[in-house]
Amino acid sequence: MTFDILLQWLRGPVFWAGLAFMVLGLGRHVAITVWGIIRSYRRAGDKTIPTRQVVSATLRWLFLTQGLKNRLLYGLNTLIFHISIILVPIFLAGHIALWERGIGLSWPALPNGLSTALTIIAVIAAVTIVIQRVVFRESRRLSRFQDFVMPLIVAIPFATGFLVMHPAWNPFSHQFMLFLHVLSGDLLFFLIPITKLSHMVLLPGTQIVSELAWHFPSESGSRVGEALGKANEPI
Amino acid sequence: MLNRLTILKSFLWASVGVLAAVSVVRFTRGLGAVTNLSDASPWGLWIGFDVMAGVALAAGGFVMAATVYIFGLEKYRSCVRPAILTALLGYLAVAVGLLYDLGLPWNIWHPMIYWQHHSVLFEVAVCVMLYLTVLSLEFAPVVLEHPLFGRPIFQRILKFLRKVTIPLVIVGIVLSTLHQSSLGSLFLIAPARLHPLWYSSIIYVFYFISAIGLGLMMVVLEGLLSSYFFGHKVKKDLLPGVGMAASIVLWVYVVLRLVDLAVRGDLGMAFDGSWQSLLFLFELGMAAILPASLLLVRRIRSSITGMAICSSLTVLGMIGYRLNMSIVAFTRPEGWGYFPSWEEIAVSVGIVSCCILVFLFFVEHLKVYDEPAHVDPMKPSYDAATLHDLMPGEQASPRRYSLVAVMSAAVALLFLPVKGAETVRTPVSVPRMVEGYQVSRQAGDFHALAILGAEEWSQSAESPIPLLAINGNRDATLVLFNHAGHVDRQGGDESCRTCHHLDLPYDRNSSCFECHRDMYEPTALFDHSFHVQALEGNDGCTECHSDGSEVKSYETATACVECHRNPEGSGLILELPGSRWGDAVGYMDAMHGLCVTCHERNAREEPGRFADLLDRCDACHDADFSGMLEEMTPVRKISSNVVQGGH
Repeated sequence: MTFDILLQWLRGPVFWAGLAFMVLGLGRHVAITVWGIIRSYRRAGDKTIPTRQVVSATLRWLFLTQGLKNRLLYGLNTLIFHISIILVPIFLAGHIALWERGIGLSWPALPNGLSTALTIIAVIAAVTIVIQRVVFRESRRLSRFQDFVMPLIVAIPFATGFLVMHPAWNPFSHQFMLFLHVLSGDLLFFLIPITKLSHMVLLPGTQIVSELAWHFPSESGSRVGEALGKANEPI
Repeated sequence: MLNRLTILKSFLWASVGVLAAVSVVRFTRGLGAVTNLSDASPWGLWIGFDVMAGVALAAGGFVMAATVYIFGLEKYRSCVRPAILTALLGYLAVAVGLLYDLGLPWNIWHPMIYWQHHSVLFEVAVCVMLYLTVLSLEFAPVVLEHPLFGRPIFQRILKFLRKVTIPLVIVGIVLSTLHQSSLGSLFLIAPARLHPLWYSSIIYVFYFISAIGLGLMMVVLEGLLSSYFFGHKVKKDLLPGVGMAASIVLWVYVVLRLVDLAVRGDLGMAFDGSWQSLLFLFELGMAAILPASLLLVRRIRSSITGMAICSSLTVLGMIGYRLNMSIVAFTRPEGWGYFPSWEEIAVSVGIVSCCILVFLFFVEHLKVYDEPAHVDPMKPSYDAATLHDLMPGEQASPRRYSLVAVMSAAVALLFLPVKGAETVRTPVSVPRMVEGYQVSRQAGDFHALAILGAEEWSQSAESPIPLLAINGNRDATLVLFNHAGHVDRQGGDESCRTCHHLDLPYDRNSSCFECHRDMYEPTALFDHSFHVQALEGNDGCTECHSDGSEVKSYETATACVECHRNPEGSGLILELPGSRWGDAVGYMDAMHGLCVTCHERNAREEPGRFADLLDRCDACHDADFSGMLEEMTPVRKISSNVVQGGH
């Protein structure tokens, strides 16, 4: 089988390279964000931060309560989508078996029936999320290209993974489907740090970042004046 | 937005990223995983380039310090700081490169405690350590001048260091003289392995003088490069003086090397047209003769282009000299060629890149050159990874360079053996039928075997008989085996199953290699792809993986015997594997198990018949076979060298 060699490469070096790229890339995002927060805070003219509001807003957005309040159906859909795509890859029994074989680590697994159900839910939710984004005018106008595409790309490893797990449903060869599954999974590792998927580490910081964005350096008013050629004039 | 410096730094950070990835594999999996080094070529690129050439390239430090502080040529004072910084970074590169090259890098401190004063390498190690310390002290004032170290304690240290400059410079020159030459002396212990064009009993003189010439040219080259990247004005009035000095030193070096060859009577060898002679002429011409001749011309000496060309020639040529000595002209056994792996090259490039980045950082933040570094601080820029645009340069550059480093590290990992060093497979082959003789070996029913063509044996032998030449891994250590004799002794056709399994179609005997597919390693008996085909694709999975709630693995699948009923015959010597999915043992273990078990039993039960030979290794293996079977094909051509086997 020709896919065997490719599959071996994808499961070995490509997987480790992808994992390293994801971890280092996300670490880079966190480092740059923290550095930026510290830098803005040091330069800020007004150093009073409404800590309570920032924390509560962060928690509300992190646990989707704000999203559910704004748009119930869409919020629910994204909630189950996130639960599925976080739980299944980490707690699928087959994946844990691979970790154990590779580096000897294992942890409790989800029952396979539940994993299958969550996988189907993830694929359906990904498609409906895109539909909901397109249908509502407000969200459509706020969306970039990757907002439409990323949920579908995320769904590929789940769809192919379902077919790998259930060969009777699989119209193609098992090896080919496994190849697609690993390929799309590896691709995600590489996409995470360079697309909106990096919100998995950046989300907790968004509220403090947007709060600090309005704390201008104390001299910025006069600088705007200079830039407009109206230095020393009252603003 | 993308100026020269940005492009250079992006490239350097990319190399650092690759270096990081390779380092992880180097220090977790060892030298074998990433290098082409072997017992025949233990000195590779890391020693040849990082250590040998690195030390030589750093020679500018002591040469310029001597010029200014000892000879009092104050004109060149502006060259001292960059030269010292280059030397410091060069020696750090040597130390770091050595860490990569040492098999047990954590023992690098041993020369400090375990003194071996007969060893040249010990002298090099101690000198390099001490000189690294001296260089740090010589460069420390530049760091302490930074406003960050404004506290009185630092200022007092600074004052003290300025006071001891001259002693430090003298110690530095002494240490440099010692170990620059000693690096050449290292080769004195291998006169037979180094080609005569490079070997000489005064290599240390060549190394010292070439280091001075190279050091001067290196100072010129890096001065020109930093003015290219930082937009400094080149100090053109200094060029002719340095050029002339370098020319004289290089001429001395050329004359010494040629006279040395002539005295030893090997000068003719330099012009005999062999590849070594061409390499020698190319190296000497590029490193010394060509630049030294060009530098005699005043117009070339005082022009930037001329000096750039001459200094590049010398720098590349002298690196070539060091590489030729330690790699190219160093003989190795036939078939043990060496070319560095990409990982070795990446480590060398990465270490140099780190040094250049530190150099650039110091130039930008400290007073290394007289003129302040001209860096455009606030140009807006764009970050591809976060889609943030129009941010000031000071925020954009960390983003850009960290992205470059992370990406290149990931790309490097794609091609590194990160899965771990896999076992080297040694596939086995089928026994071959040959004709040979059977000769009584000792009293009793015991024979030695020889391949047809062994004259001295053919005298005493009967007519030729067919033998099996069992040579599993084709390494020429073969065992001759009288199959017909064994069939007779074991009891005719009924006895096949004593050694063979009878589970192939039409009751054919399965040959050993069909299960024991590797000489030394166990082999999985189970062929998954074959079963997928036999069970007609995806619908057949449930035949073995019937329980959908379990992970599909060997452990949870249906056992072989559930489908393959009654595969075993009676009277097998080999026991069935204990676990349900056991691997077939390696070919060698299987064959030994098969033969030795029976031999030992027979020797025990019928000691009179087989003397005490049968259970010994030389019943099958002859002690004198070594090396004589490379020319095994065609078998009949074997000379009087006798191939022996038991029975």
